[in-house]
Amino acid sequence: MTITAEPRHGLGTRLAALTRVVDLGQGREDADLLTEATQLIIRAGNRLKLSPDHTVVALAGGTGSGKSSLFNAISGLELSPTGVRRPTTARTHACVWGLEGAAPLLDWLQIQWRHRFSRASALDKDDGQLHGLILMDLPDHDSIRALTDTEADRLITAADLIVWVLDPQKYADASTHRRYVTELAGHDAVTVFALNQADRLTPDEVEECLADLRALLAREGVENPRVVATSAVTGGGIVDLRAELAESVSARRAGYLRIEADLDRLMLRLAKDMPAMLKVDPAIDPARRAGLTDALCDAVGSPAVGEALENVHGTRSIDFVGWPWARWAARFQGDPLKHLKLGDVKEEIRSLVSESVRAQPAEVDNAVQALSDGLTQRMPEPWQDAVRDAARSRSGQLPKVLTDELAEIAPPLDRVPGWWRLAKTWQYLLVLLFVAGLGVTGAILVYGVLEAGEPPAELLGDVAALPWVLLMMVSVLGVGLLSAVASRNFVVMAAGKERDRLEREMRRRVAAVAQDLVIEPVERELTRYNDYFAALDTSRR
Amino acid sequence: MKAANQTPRSEPADEAVMPEEEPESPGEQTLSFRAITDDQPPEEPSVEDDFSEEEEEFDLPEQVSSALTDALSQLREAVTGLHLGLDVPGADEARKSQAAVLAQLDDYVIPRVHMSTAPALIVVAGSTGAGKSTLVNTLAAQTVSATGVRRPTTGTPVLVCNPADELWFQKGTLLSGLTRVDEPGEGPGADSIVVASTKWLPHGVALLDTPDIDSVVEEHHDIAHRMLDAADLWVFVTSASRYADAPSWGLLKLAKERGARLVIVLSRVPARSREVISKHFTRMLDEYGLGEVERFIINETSVTNGRLPDEEVADLRMWLSELSVDEQRRALAVQATLNGVLNSFRARVPALARHLETQVALRADLRSDIDAAFSSALSEIEESTRDGSLLRGEVLARWQDFAGSGDLMRTLQIRKAKNHGPERIGALRGALRSGLESVISTAVHRASEEVVTRWRQRAGAGDRLAALPGLGRPEEDIDRHTARMVASWQDHVTELVRTEGVTKRSVARLVSFDVESLALIFTVGLLGYGTGDAPGGNGALPQRLLRGLLGAESLRSISGKARSDLRARIGLLFDDETLRYVDALDGAGIPDEAAATRLYQATYNLEVAR
Repeated sequence: MTITAEPRHGLGTRLAALTRVVDLGQGREDADLLTEATQLIIRAGNRLKLSPDHTVVALAGGTGSGKSSLFNAISGLELSPTGVRRPTTARTHACVWGLEGAAPLLDWLQIQWRHRFSRASALDKDDGQLHGLILMDLPDHDSIRALTDTEADRLITAADLIVWVLDPQKYADASTHRRYVTELAGHDAVTVFALNQADRLTPDEVEECLADLRALLAREGVENPRVVATSAVTGGGIVDLRAELAESVSARRAGYLRIEADLDRLMLRLAKDMPAMLKVDPAIDPARRAGLTDALCDAVGSPAVGEALENVHGTRSIDFVGWPWARWAARFQGDPLKHLKLGDVKEEIRSLVSESVRAQPAEVDNAVQALSDGLTQRMPEPWQDAVRDAARSRSGQLPKVLTDELAEIAPPLDRVPGWWRLAKTWQYLLVLLFVAGLGVTGAILVYGVLEAGEPPAELLGDVAALPWVLLMMVSVLGVGLLSAVASRNFVVMAAGKERDRLEREMRRRVAAVAQDLVIEPVERELTRYNDYFAALDTSRR
Repeated sequence: MKAANQTPRSEPADEAVMPEEEPESPGEQTLSFRAITDDQPPEEPSVEDDFSEEEEEFDLPEQVSSALTDALSQLREAVTGLHLGLDVPGADEARKSQAAVLAQLDDYVIPRVHMSTAPALIVVAGSTGAGKSTLVNTLAAQTVSATGVRRPTTGTPVLVCNPADELWFQKGTLLSGLTRVDEPGEGPGADSIVVASTKWLPHGVALLDTPDIDSVVEEHHDIAHRMLDAADLWVFVTSASRYADAPSWGLLKLAKERGARLVIVLSRVPARSREVISKHFTRMLDEYGLGEVERFIINETSVTNGRLPDEEVADLRMWLSELSVDEQRRALAVQATLNGVLNSFRARVPALARHLETQVALRADLRSDIDAAFSSALSEIEESTRDGSLLRGEVLARWQDFAGSGDLMRTLQIRKAKNHGPERIGALRGALRSGLESVISTAVHRASEEVVTRWRQRAGAGDRLAALPGLGRPEEDIDRHTARMVASWQDHVTELVRTEGVTKRSVARLVSFDVESLALIFTVGLLGYGTGDAPGGNGALPQRLLRGLLGAESLRSISGKARSDLRARIGLLFDDETLRYVDALDGAGIPDEAAATRLYQATYNLEVAR
C-alpha cells in the first residue's frame, strides 16, 4: 500500500467527485477518457455493492504458462482441465472458499454455473486463511483464440487481485507486458507475479530469471513487485503464493485497493494536461465588466450619439429659437444644393437624423471576444473554447436587444421641445412688432413729415413720436437678438444635460443587457470550470 | 523424425512460378550448378577462388539483367523518394512498410537477382524462449549464439556458415547495410550482424539466428523482420507451449503472404505428449492452409552448453545437407522465395502509393479548409460592407452628427464664398475606420476558428495540426495590420475622389467641395447607406448627392475602383493570415503527387522486366 503524506479522501468521496468530473467535463475534456471514467464509476459501484467479504483473484497469463495447473494446485483439486494442447482453457473457472454471499458476485463476473466450484468444507486448516477467496482461472490473452475473445480482458479489469502467471519461456512477452503490466503500473498492492514452471530451471537459473523479471518490472514502473517462484508440478512455492493470497484475502481490502489504483491511474491521465490546479475567479471583476460595458457602448456608439444629440439639437434649435433676421439673411447667401437640382435635399438631410440608435454587430462580437480572451488566458484550451462559446451563446441576439433597449431611451434627434415653439412665437411676435413699428414710422413719415393728408389717427401724424417709435423698433430687434442668444444658451445647456442623462442611461441599460446576455453565461461557465477542478482535485486525492 | 507427410521436392506452387523465370533461370542454374560442383571438394575449399569465380559466373544474361536491374533501381528510387509527412491514420504502418521494402531491396532483392543461388541464407526466427539460439548452436556444433534463461536472449543476429562461404557473407552485398562484427554488442544490435563459421555446416547454406518476434524489446521484432526479409528460407521455431500464440501465427501468415519457403520446427515438446501436440499443431496448420509445410519436432531435453543432444537435430541436419548437395532443389527454394518477394511488391508498393494518395487527398482537403474558411470570411466582409450593416453604432451617430449639424451642407461651397470647412470630418472618419476594422477583425477571428474546427474534424493529421498552439486565433498584430490597411484604403478613397471626382461642368462653375468630407460621404454611400436594412427611407442620399455633383459615370467608376481596392487589400491581409496555416501544413510535409505515379510505374516496369 502506498503511504502518502496528506490524508487521502475515502474512495466513496473520490468516486462521487469523479462523477461530477464526468458531468462537468462533458464536451470539454477528452470523450474517451470520460467514457472510461464512467465505466470505472459503474464498475466500482457494482463491486463495492457486492460481497465485501470476498476477494476476487484472477490467475492471468499467456497460454501454456500453467494457469490451470496453478489453479488446481492452490485449490488442491483437479477443477480446471489442464493439457498440452494450446490454448487449453477457453472459459473461466472459479473456485470459491466460503460460498456464502458469493453468488451475486459470481453472477456479476459472469462465471457460468458449471464452472463454479466451492471449497466450502474446510478440508485442511490452511483453507481457513483463504476463506473469502474467489480464485478464477482465466483463459489466456495471447493465443490466436484470444484475438476474438475479450473474456480475459474483461476479468483482468474486474478482478480485485491479479496473479500474473509467467513462465521461464514467456515471462518477457510483449503481449503481457505492453498490454497489461505497463498499463497497470501503480497497482502494486493488488498484483502478484508468479514465475511458474520453476522446476524447469536450476535454482541458479531461477534466481537469474527472477532478478531479470524484477529489473524488467522496475523499468515498467512497477515499484515493489511481489514476485513468487512457483511450480505446479513439484508444488514448490505454492505455499508462498497461498500466503500472499491469504494476506490479501484476510485484509478484505483488495477490492477497495484495486479500484483505488484504477482511479489513481485514471486521474493521472485526466489531470495530465493540467499540472496545477488553476482556479479562476468565477465572478467577473468590476474592471472587466466596465471594459465590456465600454466596448458595448462603443458598439452602439453611445458617446457619439450623445455628441450628435448635442450638436444636432444646437443646430436645429436655430430654426426655432434663433433670431429670424439672421436666418433670413442666410437664405440670401445662396444654396449650392440648388445648383445640383436634387429637389428638397434639406428636408431629407433633416430627416436623416430621425433614425434611432443601432448596435454594430461586428463591434459587439469583438467586445465579447475581448472579454473571453482576457478571462481565459491561463485556462486550458478546451475550457477557453467553452468560455468563449458561453460568452457567445446569446451574443447573436445581443445587437438586436441592445438596439431595442436603447431605442426606447434615446430621444429622436429631431425632437422639438415645446418651449422652442414658444420662443419661435415670441420671435415672430417681435418681428410683427418691428413690422408694426415700421408701419407706424412710414405713416408718420407720410402724414407727419410730408403732410400728405389727414392722418387716420393722431399718433400717426405726430412727428415727435418718431424717435420713440424708432427706439422701440431698435429695442424690439435687440430683445429678439438677446432672447435668441439666451434661448441658444438654454438649448446648449439643456442639450448638455440631456446628453449626460442619455449617456448615463444608455450605459446603465447596456450594462444590464451585458449582465444578462454575456456576463451570466460566462460566469456560469467559469463556475463550472472551478467546480470541475475542485472535483478533479478531490477525486485525485 | 520428420512429421507426417513430407514431399522433399518443392511445392507445385513453385513450379507454377517457374515458367515466368524461363529467360533467366536455366542459364543461371546450370552456371550455378557448375560453379558449385567445381568447388565441391568439401575439405578446405579455396575460399578466395570461390568468391571471385562466383562474381564472374553468376551474372545474369545481359539483357534481362539490365532490364531487371533498371526496374529494381527505379523501384528503389521511387520508394526512397517517397515522403510520408502527414500523420494520417496508417501513416506509421506505411512508413514502416516503406522502410521494410527499401531494406529488403537493398539487403536482399538487388543482391539476390545478381547472384541467384549462391549460398542460401536460412533465417531461424520465432518466439522468445523457443530455442532458436540453442538450435543454431546445435546445428553449428559450437556456441555461436548465446543462450540462457533471460528473455529475450538474442539481440544481435548471428550468421553462421561453412568457412568456405564466410568471405562471401563477410564481403557480399547481401545484408550489406549491416556492420559485420565478431561479438554481439550491448542491447539490440539494429545495425550489426555477427558472422561466424563452422565446418559442421554444409557448404552453400548459412543459418541466421535472429532476435525474437514477441518479447518486450520491440526493436527485436524489427530486426527479426528485417532478417526475414533477406532470407532465402525461413525456419520458424516455436515451442510446445507457444504454438498457439498470436504473434507466431502472425509470422506464419506473413510467410504465406510473401510466398517464402518455410520450414517449421516445433521444439521443447515433452516426449509423453508428443503425439497429442503434433496432431493438434498439424490440424491448426491445416486450418490455416499451411498443412503442406515441412515440419520438424524436437523433444524437450536437457540443454548443455547451449546445445541440444545431437540426435535431436539429426533430421534437420539431414535436411540441410540435402539442401547443400541438391543444387536443383536449393535453387528452386531460393528462386521461390525471391519470386515470392517480388510478387509481394505487387501489393506492397501500390499500397504505399495508395497511402501517398490519401495523404495527397488529405492535404488537399486541409488546404481547401483554409481557403473555405477565409473565403467565407471575405464574403462575410463583402456582405456587411455592402448592405449598410456597418453603418450602425458609432458610425451612424457620427454620420447623423455630420449631416444634422450642417457639416454635410458645408461640404459644398459656393465658389469663392468664404466658408469654414466641416468640423466633424475627423470623428466620422475615425468612426468609419473603426467600424471597418471591427468587421474585418471579427471575420478574421471567425475564419481562424473555422480553420481549426474544420481541421479538428479531419482524422489524424488535421487533428494534430489543429492542436498547434496559436492557430485557433489570428496573429497577435492582426489588429495593427488591419488598422493600417483600413487607414490606407481611406487615403486611397480620398485620393480617388480628388483625382477622378471631376465636378460636372454644369456645376463646377458654381460649386466646389471639400475633398476630405466628400470622400467620407462617398464612403458612407459605398458602404450601403440607405440600402438593405439600414433604414433611410429616403433613398441613398449620399449617392444622389454625389451623382448630382460628379455625374453618374464618374461615381460608378470611383465606386468600382474603391470597392475592388478594398477587396484587394483585404485579400492581401488574408494572404498573410492564410500563410500561417499553409506553413503549418507544409511543416507537416508536402506529399508529392507524382511519387505515387512513379511507384505504380516502377511496379509495372518490374513486372514487365520479370
